Amino acid sequence: MDQRIVDELARIVGNEFVSTREDVLLTYSASASTGYESVQPGAVVKPGSTQEVADILKVANKYKIPVTPRSGGSSLQGEAIPKPDGLVVELLRLKDITVFEELRSVRVGAGITFGKLDKLLNQYDLWVPIYPESALVCTLAGNVAVNGAGPGSTAYGCIAEMVLGLEVVLPDGTIIQTGTEGNPNAPGPFLRYAFGPDLTGLFIGSLGSLGIITSVSVKTFKRVHHFHYETYGFETKQQAERFLIELKQNEIHALFVSIYEGKILDFFMDMLGEEYGIPKHEWPALTVSVTLGRVREDQLKSDIKLAKQICKQLEGHVIGIGELPKGEWDDRMRTFARSSYAHGWHWRILYHHQPPSNWHRSIEEIWAIMDKYHLLGHTAGFQSGHGSYNYYPHLYFDPQDKEEEMKVREAHKELAQRLFKTGAVPFKLAPYWIEDVEEMKDYLNLIKTLKRVIDPNNIMNPGIFGDM
Amino acid sequence: MTEIDLDDLMENLAQCRRCGICRDAVYEDMGFDGICPVWKNTAGFETSFMRGKLMIAIALLEGRLEKTSDNTEALYACSLCGNCTEICAAEFDPKESLELVRAVLSDIPNEVRDTLAERILTTNNPYVTDKKGKRDWVAELGFEPPTKADTLYYFGCTAGMKLPETAKAAARLLKAAGIEFAVLEDEPCCGSVMIRTGRLQDAEENAKKVLESIQESGAKTVLVSCAGCLKTLRKDYPEKFNLSMPKIVHFVEYFLELVKSGKIKLKPLGKNVKITYHDPCHMGRELGIYEEPRDLLKAIPGVELVEMETNRRAAMCCGAGGGLRSYDPELSKKIAADRVREAEETGAEIIANACPFCEQNLESGAKLIDSSIRVADIVDLIVDLIE
Repeated sequence: MDQRIVDELARIVGNEFVSTREDVLLTYSASASTGYESVQPGAVVKPGSTQEVADILKVANKYKIPVTPRSGGSSLQGEAIPKPDGLVVELLRLKDITVFEELRSVRVGAGITFGKLDKLLNQYDLWVPIYPESALVCTLAGNVAVNGAGPGSTAYGCIAEMVLGLEVVLPDGTIIQTGTEGNPNAPGPFLRYAFGPDLTGLFIGSLGSLGIITSVSVKTFKRVHHFHYETYGFETKQQAERFLIELKQNEIHALFVSIYEGKILDFFMDMLGEEYGIPKHEWPALTVSVTLGRVREDQLKSDIKLAKQICKQLEGHVIGIGELPKGEWDDRMRTFARSSYAHGWHWRILYHHQPPSNWHRSIEEIWAIMDKYHLLGHTAGFQSGHGSYNYYPHLYFDPQDKEEEMKVREAHKELAQRLFKTGAVPFKLAPYWIEDVEEMKDYLNLIKTLKRVIDPNNIMNPGIFGDM
Repeated sequence: MTEIDLDDLMENLAQCRRCGICRDAVYEDMGFDGICPVWKNTAGFETSFMRGKLMIAIALLEGRLEKTSDNTEALYACSLCGNCTEICAAEFDPKESLELVRAVLSDIPNEVRDTLAERILTTNNPYVTDKKGKRDWVAELGFEPPTKADTLYYFGCTAGMKLPETAKAAARLLKAAGIEFAVLEDEPCCGSVMIRTGRLQDAEENAKKVLESIQESGAKTVLVSCAGCLKTLRKDYPEKFNLSMPKIVHFVEYFLELVKSGKIKLKPLGKNVKITYHDPCHMGRELGIYEEPRDLLKAIPGVELVEMETNRRAAMCCGAGGGLRSYDPELSKKIAADRVREAEETGAEIIANACPFCEQNLESGAKLIDSSIRVADIVDLIVDLIE
């Protein structure tokens, strides 16, 4: 990167927090997204305030430098991989946390991880009840930028459902605040849908393509202390799918619900069964693992009774092994990452949502792809809100085997196309989901228009949506 | 020496999925409140914590990054505290892998590493260029320990040369407990820093010299007061160099047994003296010795033991290890200051420890932030308390 530009950046953040060292650039050329080509940026800058972020973007805009925002570097689908000679803006120095107890909300800087926030909120007997699989590494801001989900999402939905407002720096350096905090006289974040159109939503899942999220205001809830862990067995996919829908219909407060097909459960048992203390069992064709959680014990008792009743009405049975859901829940801040470690090498992952009634379609396509390409992998998922189920199939490869890695990339792309046809939807607007999809042309054109208006020089994470 | 299998090392390095949990994970259920002290106390670029260090290591070993001193800086800016290993979900030991990478890349110039090694090899200590002074503390004991006995006090370079009061306290403690012990006339350095910084072949030669000296003393038991010496003699020598060592015991292990068996009794240290304990990485995470020092402290009448936010397996490092104190003294002291702040938050008057190397750095850290907290080796605390 041109030294004059680097000098300008250094004047903003100080020499200590900007680097063009070869070793530093190498480490920012990739993230936790294995299976993606590394790309070396031209510089990395670490702002310490929102104003510094704004000043940096003014410089980037002036020189039309592509910018990649980054916080935890834990994203798995190539979201934070920079552009050649581009600028990485790392946000981990933005560490402010303000709790608004009476507003039932908290505002955190873009450098705050879920783990750090969880520890702080625990002192208030509160939580933000969604734990992405990388909760110990990823920041709330980063998770909002990809609209993530995790344990807790069964009851509370994706992270988007928690968001009350965002502070965003636009590509030209303008700082905007969405939600109630848009009014500087407001006591804090208490309503997302303030002042007209939902601008907050515009930035959720935008992958840093429209601006840099510098702080996030989210809802807090009273921490749940009454839990019940249970497994329910079914013989058909339709029964298991229906069970998930009925749990929701009956307002049963399940924090985390997963359907396991027999062979996937065997896989899971190999990985973590012993550690979680799960007894040996002849598992049925379909097992639904459920963590129920309530603030009040009487509510929990009612949920337990009703879940059992629904299970029986659907001709299922209560298995009585609670160690599986308990293990999942207790280990929720890192369980998925651990699962991959236990069985795989590097991986490509393909997050997507289905309605629970379509759960079986994803499974069918995932197995078909693995068989076709002779790949090792597995899939897991969980109910992720009002009427959705979040899938995350893993395709594994040996990082020292380039041929296998390329095969995984090919399989990954074909799987996305197949899943799209089943009605699945992704978190992110990645090129492998939407390439050559005629039906979404108008939708994509609108996004292109928005991008052009907000970021006319196309500096913000260009290419993250493909050729847009 | 067990040869380093490069293929095996590369396979281990490839185990890292770059999840980044080794940076600053706060995981209350497991006691972690941050992971990497270097990340925390520097500008915090990716190169500062293990994920980035391993990326650099792989690139250097694969030839994608030029083998220059500049490009290996990050590999040495690490205290090898092992907190990353504790939380890492992958089936490899990142800290151990980095240590091996340093050895494989030991042909890349590094003045600090080489100076330390040359001193150890020529003068038996990493601190000065002559042999003088390492044993001066013996003259101040008021008695002369023999050079041969069943029990050897292997005092170590830091106690001998930087914290002689600790060496003296250890010797007096042994005498007060009625233990006959020897001190070597010309004690070689354990060579821990050579192992950590990648001078493995030299470290092996040195290890043989150490073993020879111990054998000449006739010792069946070697007592150490330094956690670094403990780990090196007890674990590294047998595992890395296939050396058969006599029993290696740390003072806190040894004296806890004496207290438990009633062979020695301790007088009160004072009234409600609040003490917190800093876990040396070489003793805690490396050898799993967490409770013995705490039990010994709790056995002192009048002591209230309080824990820091991070302790035992999740304890933050003092910043001295892995060659960091020599490689980047300012950073090392900043890390120590951070640990001292953590100790201050407990309200303790004393940070007790069981390693002169930690003690030395914690004292530097306390000085850096003008802390009035007292940094003391457990040996120093109990020497005057034996009834």
